[in-house]
This record gives sequence, C-alpha cells and structure tokens, in this order.
Amino acid sequence: MEEREPAKTTATKGTDAARKIRAMVKNIYKSCHEAQSQGKKVAYIMVSSQYDEILRAMDIVPLPTENYAGLCAAKRDMDRFLTKAEEDGYSQVLCSYARIGLGFDSLRKELGGMPENAPDGGMPLPDIILGSSGVCDPRFKWFQACGRFMTAPTYSIDVMHPPVHCDLNAVRDHYVQYQKVQFEGLIAFLEKQTGKPLNKDRLWETIRLGDEAWRLWYESDRLRTAKPCVMPSQDHFNVMVPAYYYSGTQEAVDYFQDLVDEVKYKVENKLAVVPDEKYRILYGGGLPPWHTMWFFNYFESFGAVFVIENQYRGFDPVEVPDHVKDPVEYLAWRAFLRYTARHEQAKANSGNPVVEKILDLIQDYDIDGVFFHACRSCRATTIGQIHTKNMLGRYSDLPMTQFVSDMVDLRDYSEAQWKAQIHAFLDAMASRKK
Amino acid sequence: MNFAGIDIGSTMTKVVIVDEQENIIQELIGPTGAEHRHLALTVMKEALEKTGLIFEQLGFIVATGYGRINVPFADKQITEITCHARGVRALFPSVRIVIDIGGQDSKGIKLNQEGRVVNFVMNDKCAAGTGRFLEVIAETLGIELTDLGRLSLQAENIVQISNTCTVFAEHEVTSRLAEGAKIPDICAGLHEAIAGRVVNMVRTLGIEKEVVVTGGGAKNPGLVKAIEGKVGFPVLTPPEPLITGALGAALTGKDLADKGLAPDQERRLEGVTFFK
Amino acid sequence: MSAVPQIEEFYTQRGKRARQLRDAGQKVVGYFCCFVPDEIIAAFDMVPYRIQGCPSEPIDRADAYIEPMACPFARSCLNMAVKGDYDFLDGFVAPHSCDTIERMYSIWHHNTPAAFNHFLNVPHMMGPSSDTFYRKELEFFIKALENWSGRTLDQEKLKETVKLYNRRRARLRELYALRKPDPPLISGVEITELMVAGMGIPACEHIELIDNMIAEVVKRPKPKHQKLPRIFIWGNEIDDTAFIRLVEDSGSYVVMDDLCTGSRIFWDDVPETDDPLDGIVSRYLHINCPRSYIPAAGNREEDLQNRFGHIGDFVKQWRADGVILYIIRYCDTCELDGPDLREHLNAMGIPVIMIEDDYSISTIGQLRTRIQAFLEMII
Repeated sequence: MEEREPAKTTATKGTDAARKIRAMVKNIYKSCHEAQSQGKKVAYIMVSSQYDEILRAMDIVPLPTENYAGLCAAKRDMDRFLTKAEEDGYSQVLCSYARIGLGFDSLRKELGGMPENAPDGGMPLPDIILGSSGVCDPRFKWFQACGRFMTAPTYSIDVMHPPVHCDLNAVRDHYVQYQKVQFEGLIAFLEKQTGKPLNKDRLWETIRLGDEAWRLWYESDRLRTAKPCVMPSQDHFNVMVPAYYYSGTQEAVDYFQDLVDEVKYKVENKLAVVPDEKYRILYGGGLPPWHTMWFFNYFESFGAVFVIENQYRGFDPVEVPDHVKDPVEYLAWRAFLRYTARHEQAKANSGNPVVEKILDLIQDYDIDGVFFHACRSCRATTIGQIHTKNMLGRYSDLPMTQFVSDMVDLRDYSEAQWKAQIHAFLDAMASRKK
Repeated sequence: MNFAGIDIGSTMTKVVIVDEQENIIQELIGPTGAEHRHLALTVMKEALEKTGLIFEQLGFIVATGYGRINVPFADKQITEITCHARGVRALFPSVRIVIDIGGQDSKGIKLNQEGRVVNFVMNDKCAAGTGRFLEVIAETLGIELTDLGRLSLQAENIVQISNTCTVFAEHEVTSRLAEGAKIPDICAGLHEAIAGRVVNMVRTLGIEKEVVVTGGGAKNPGLVKAIEGKVGFPVLTPPEPLITGALGAALTGKDLADKGLAPDQERRLEGVTFFK
Repeated sequence: MSAVPQIEEFYTQRGKRARQLRDAGQKVVGYFCCFVPDEIIAAFDMVPYRIQGCPSEPIDRADAYIEPMACPFARSCLNMAVKGDYDFLDGFVAPHSCDTIERMYSIWHHNTPAAFNHFLNVPHMMGPSSDTFYRKELEFFIKALENWSGRTLDQEKLKETVKLYNRRRARLRELYALRKPDPPLISGVEITELMVAGMGIPACEHIELIDNMIAEVVKRPKPKHQKLPRIFIWGNEIDDTAFIRLVEDSGSYVVMDDLCTGSRIFWDDVPETDDPLDGIVSRYLHINCPRSYIPAAGNREEDLQNRFGHIGDFVKQWRADGVILYIIRYCDTCELDGPDLREHLNAMGIPVIMIEDDYSISTIGQLRTRIQAFLEMII
C-alpha cells in the first residue's frame, strides 16, 4: 500500500538547547545497549521516582520505558506496539505508555529480538525492573505485568506524600522515615543484584549533581518570565529529558548551564519565539500530545505562544536541613519537601497546591490563557483538571480550556476538532484583551 | 422433520430452514424493523409459505442475533457466537477463525478441530469496525453503501484514515476530501482502517488457518481484500454470508433434536396460534 | 418473619437506616473502598457508611466536576453527592486506594464538604515498614475523629468492636458456604443484595439480617437439580444486582466472588490482638485489591500463585466452571491484573472472560450476548 508522505507532527523548537535533545534521547537507548555489553546492569525505571541518584551512584543504567512510549508517538510508530498489547488482552483505555511498553516487550519476546526498525534502536531486555508508586498506579502495576514477557528481578517502592490539610510538623517524621526505609529496601535489593555495596560518598556526589541540574533548570524557567517569550513549551518538553533521564550526572549539569546561558542571552536580546507576541499561554497540565506536538506551532502562527508549563516541571528547589547527614535520609527529606512545597500556602488560600502553583505561574509569567490536555488513558494527570479549572475560576477571569486526546494514542485525537477548539480559545483570549 | 433458524440482526433478519440431511431448503432475508416480534413472525410465515411447510412440521426453532429474545415462537435462544460457529462448521469444516462483521457489531470466534467455540471476542459498544461505520462514512461521501467495495478496488493511492472513531473519522474524511483526495482512495483507506481494527481484535484469539469472513462485511469485496492484507493469507467467504447465523441456528435446533430434546409444548402452542 | 423484605428495603432504599440513626443522634461517616476500618468508626459510636454508586441513574451532574475518563463508579458516587443524595454524611473519608479515589478526595470535599473530612494515606507496597506507616495513618485518623467528636477512643471499646465485626465476618463466611452445594442454596443476586444492604447499617443489625437469611435458606425446599455452569466473579465494586442478575438469568449460578463488595471485605478476620490496632493493620493493609503491590516472588508461575493463589483456591473450593473478570472501565490496576489473572486461571484449566463495563444499567444489556456465549462455550 502506498502511503502519503507523513505530515510533520513534531514541533519546531525555539532554542538550540532543545535541538540538542534528539541526540540525548538516542543516547539513552544506545547507552543501555552499550552498558550491557560492558557488564553493567540496565534497569527499567519510572521517572520522578526520587531514586535517580541512587541508581547513578550504583552504576545502574536507567531505561525509561515511559519516555520510550513518547518517543514512539513522536515518530508516529506506536500502532504496532499498542495493538500488540491490545492483542495480549490489555484494554484500549489502559495507560497508553503502559500499552506501548508492554506491547514492545511482547513483540520483542515473540520475535526473539528487537522489533524491526524500532525507534532509536529499541529497548534492550532489562536486567532489573524498578517500579514506584510515585505519580500514578500503573507505575508499579505495569512493571508487575512485565513478568509475562521477561524474567528480570522486579522491585518497587512507595513514594508517598501527605494530604494538604495535614499538620506538616506532625507528619514530617512519619513520611520521611517511611520514604527512607523504602529507599533502603531498594538499595538492599540493588546491592544484591550488583553484588556491590552502595558507596555513600558517591551518592552524595550524584545528589549534588542532581540538585545542581535541577537548580539550573529552575533558574532557566525563572528567566522565562521575561517578555517576549524566548523559550516555548515545546522546548520545555524536550529539556525535561536531561532533567529526568540524566539526573545525577555531570552531563545534565552542563546541559542546564548551557540552557541558562542561552535563555539569558535570548532574553537580553529579545529573541522572541514569535515576532508579534499576542497571547501568552500557560500549559496548565496533562501529558503533552507527543503524537502532535506540531500544534504548538499552529498556535504560534496566530501569535500565541506557550510560555510556561505545569507538567513535567521540576520541583522548586528545597532546603534540606543541615542536621541531615545521611544521603539516603537526605533523599527522603527532599522528596517530602518537594511534595509539600505549597501545602502551607494552599492551606492559607485556595486549599489546593496545584491551584496555588498555577496562580503563581499566571502572575509571574503574565498569562493570557490556560490550556489543559486531558488524556483518555491517563488518570493521574487528567483527573482533577476540571476541578482545578473550576477553582481557578474563582481567582482569575482568564480563558481556560481543556483539550482531549491522549499522550500517545492517535486514535483519540481529531485534528478537525482541535483546530476548531484552538480558534475558539484564541477568540476568547482576544475578546478578553479588548 | 425440518428445523428453522431465525437470526434477528441489527439491520437484517434472516431465516433458514434445513431438512434432516442438513440441506438448506429455504433461506430468506428481510430488513429488521423497530418491531422485532411482528417482523419475526412475518419473515417466518413467508419462509414457510415459500417452502410449502406448516408450522407443525418444524422441529426446533432456534432464534439468534441481538433480537433473539423477541421471537415468541422460538423454542430456544442461542447467541450468534455459537450459531455462527455451527453454521461455519457446516460450510467450512476446516475453519478455525470466524470474523463476523455485522451492522452494529463485529466479532471473532475461535473454533477447535471439532468446530466448537473455544474463545471469542466482540466489539459491540462502538461503531468502529462495523457496518454502521461504513454506512455513516458512505453518507458523508455521498455514495451508496453497496458501492463502497467496488469503488475501493479502483484505488490508486490509498488515503490513510487514522481514526476509527466514527465521529472523528467523519471529520477526517471531510478534510481529506477538501484536500482533493479521490473517493476510491478514501474508500480503500476506510476499509484498511476497519480491517485493521477488526483483525487486531481477532488477533487476541491467535489467528490460524482457515479464516472465514461472514456477515454483511463479507459482501464488500474491498473490505475482504483489506482483511486478507492484514491476515496475510486469503480468507473464505460463504456463498451467502448473511445467513451463516440463521443456518447455524437451524442446525443447532437439529443437534438438540438429535440429542432427544423436545421443544417446550406450551411455547409451541403459542407459536401455532400465532400462525393461524 | 422472612428476612427478605427487610434486605430488599435496605438494598433499595440505601441510606434510609443511616438517616434514621442520624436523626436519633448518631454521626454517620461515609467512606470509599475497603481500606478504612469500620471498627474504628464504630468504636466512636458512629455509623460507618460505605459510599456506593447508582448505576441506574445517568451521570449528568458530575461531569462539571470530574473528567469522563475517570472510573464511572467514582463518577456515579460524586454525581449522587452533588445531587445531595449524600447529605446525611457527617463525615467523609477517602483512603488513598487508587489515583481516582485520591483525586476524588479533594473534588468531593471541596464541592460537597461534610462536617468532618479526612484523607487516609495507604501504602501501595506491602512490607513491615508499610504496616508501620499505615498504623501511624490510622492513629492520625483516630486523632482526627477524637478532635471532631470531643471524645477519646476507648481501647476496650475498639476491642469489642473488632470482635463484633469478626462475628459478622464469620456469619458471612457461613452464608457463603451455602453457595457450595450444586445447585447453590442461595443465588448471587440474593448475596449481592444482602452485602449491599449491610453497607450502611450497624454491624449488629447486619448480623441479624444474615442470621435470618441463613435460617430461611436452610429451610427452603431443596432446589430443583439443574445442571448449569457455576461462575466465579472477580473485580471491584458490584453494588447493584443488575450484572449478577444478567449472569444468572443467562443460565448460570454465581457461586463465589473476589470483589470489594464481596468476599474481599470480610474473608479474613481481624486478629484480636492486645493492641487492637495491630490486628486491624495486619488485616486491612493486606486486603488483596489490585491497587496493592504484592512483592515479586520466584519465577512467573510462583509470582502468579503468590498474587492470585487465594482466587484459585476459591475457584476450586466452590467448584466454579468459569470465571468472569468484571472490570469497571478506566480501572488501570484491574486492567493490568486482568491478563495475569486470566493466565493463572487458564493454567488451572478454568475458562475466563474479561468484561469491561461502564457501570451503567442502560448499557448492561450489551453484555448479554457476551455472557451468554461464554456460558454456551463452557457448558
């Protein structure tokens, strides 16, 4: 069958830093293949599980399966994996990251090797599998289901955070202690798998690198408050790669230093993303539509630019108290502080930390409209958007809109519907500005 | 003794009467209306008249299809899954996979060597992968449903339709038309999409030779071709794909009689009064 | 007197008894899922009320507050809340059972605040540290109830309550044993009604209902022997009889379940320990909901046995011929467990059908053909 030349689906980027990401993504998978040939352990991981620095300190090479799903979607090569998972009995409404991952695993097992032309060389069979309950439920259930396709030893940890209305002073030790024990369990498991004990000095070093990269990332985001916008959201959804997948390495620190320098330069010279910036949009939440990142450029063609985002965004820097002398305890403290950063503010105001964060972003970045993306197959980032929107409505008269598709499954996306909704949203921002 | 099967599908009602040697002695197809009960009666009456039989000469009457519960004179209601399997077993004993594409649902059935159902899968909550999908799109294209298959065989550059959601696909077709795509190319793209969806569903059963396509979908040469493309080898189609379920129903009735089961007398009487 | 009319009354007029008790001065505390110990609420002389949905009513109001890709059971519950059907709840407790219920906490209490609102964090992992964590969360919960009620929890009272609830558990196991004969002495529909009826009434009243029902069932004339397939149902919430009725009306006996409205919530007793919280923790945290992670064990077969062994045992003991995996759409953890459980059961030679449902009576008829074909297949 003759196919049409596929239309461009990825987005044109604004910064050189973002353009470097493609190679870094490729390198993730390449380095996994290489690591195995050098006898290092490769682990399926879930991003933002707060354990990245531990893995780096123990020479475990992270293989982020979720990212691979996004990659397949960006390359529009997801159908064979999605349908394979569906053939294996996974529902069409199950998390599509999980479906791509499981479909890929299933296909690799069936073929006895890498699926032909798998994006970026494909994911090798992992040596270990490390799930977590941070962010969402599929992140440990999916890896549990992997047992159907591989024999790699599997371990999962809890990543828990307290509800907003609690008394932080009363619950702090309880949460920190639990998180610490969870990390210790993971370390014991990894020590058994690698046959090597964790070197705590090395862990301090990877933590230092991790914190530094995230501090620089935060700094670059703060620079983005400048008008006009010099770094749009499509760039953000690229620069998150070193933050999440290279966390705890010098490479990530160097990358973000370059990013800060570039953004600073562009701000000083007003090198705008769009020549005539009319509307500044906040990406309010939801996983991005990896299959159609081009829509950012479509907005830009009408002078509307996405200037900041509340998704895949680093936590604001936190100060772990000095009395914490153990690196594992430090990680537990850091996780607690990251997750509770806006609890007190929320208690004093809206009662909702997400709303507080968005209100801060609206103010700091001089926002004209808020965009949400509801993903058919993602509960964790989708449920609550309407609630957030309803609550924001009490504090802000900005136009807010919720688009629906999926992070990777194109079957839930309608270009015609999106275009119509984009124009309605633009109109709403225009009439408010009048 | 003769045996009748009546299959009330979402769009068509089918009746088959077989004799004791399992020969089809009558087959009749009529549209399904809103009033199933009345319609079932009319079609059955007509089939009997044409055959020169009276109601009492029928052994078992088995109703199947989604309107099966609305056949007051039937002795038994059996699902179309079991009936399709039975019908296919009579037509093509070597078949292991049945792909049935009906008006409002599509299904896959896996048979073992004895022709018994060992697994099945159904899509009945969404129009994607059903005749209804093609009907909606044909309307959008301004062509007859029956022309879709013929037209699609003239395709030169198949247009890829990525949405199988009927509403989304309608949008997509409209924009492809606006871009100047040719109707045969779109038709072929639609068949690709629908075949992809249905075959993927059937893959959950594990596809094995032989494969038969039944139901209204089997009458569309473009769709059958697309299915063959996805399956990777030629598929079979019955001479009259629409009656497979009704045939299976009639034969299931015969099987029941062979087992020594007798129809419920009260029901029969109710049936007889109906026909007077 | 027959137990049936009263069961029917509690089943159809949900919340009625809780309202009566509330009018008489007791506080009613509503909660989601099976991770909130009834015993603790009851030990405060409050009425624990398991929040249920209503599949026979369309979800019309909730769409303004929650996305349609959330679990329709949860959406249905919220729909009832915003309509005011839960205005009798003095307290609202949501455990961190799954992503949806966790999000539901802030949506619910923000839009329909009760006098008392509490979020109970529950670890997904199972291990000694998780026990410690969950225990602490229960202590926070108790503290919050103490602050709200102005009363201190009496340890002896809690111990008594544990005993009371264990008595109910024992009675329910006795009731479920009546499903073992072929044909079973009690139908799946009757069981469902009795389980749902018990979700909003004090345990002692539920025990009475169960006792009456058991007494009645054993006195019934022996059911006519009819060879029909015996079905086991796995899933989460089935708080309406429609689906079970469909399965039984299609020609089968529903004989056993692993549902969080069924055996899952009562099968194991709470150990009666010196410190009652020890027993409560060891029981509640180890409830086998797909949202909980049972650590990986051994090879694939051993891992499946470790995760699903109890289900296989139920299937054997109740001599089920087939298993229905009833999954409410958008439940990621069930959707991920389903194929693994199917693999485990198929290896035992048990046929399995996975059903994904919208938790709506109006669409349940669409499942009829699937269920009936499954039954025809396994006969």
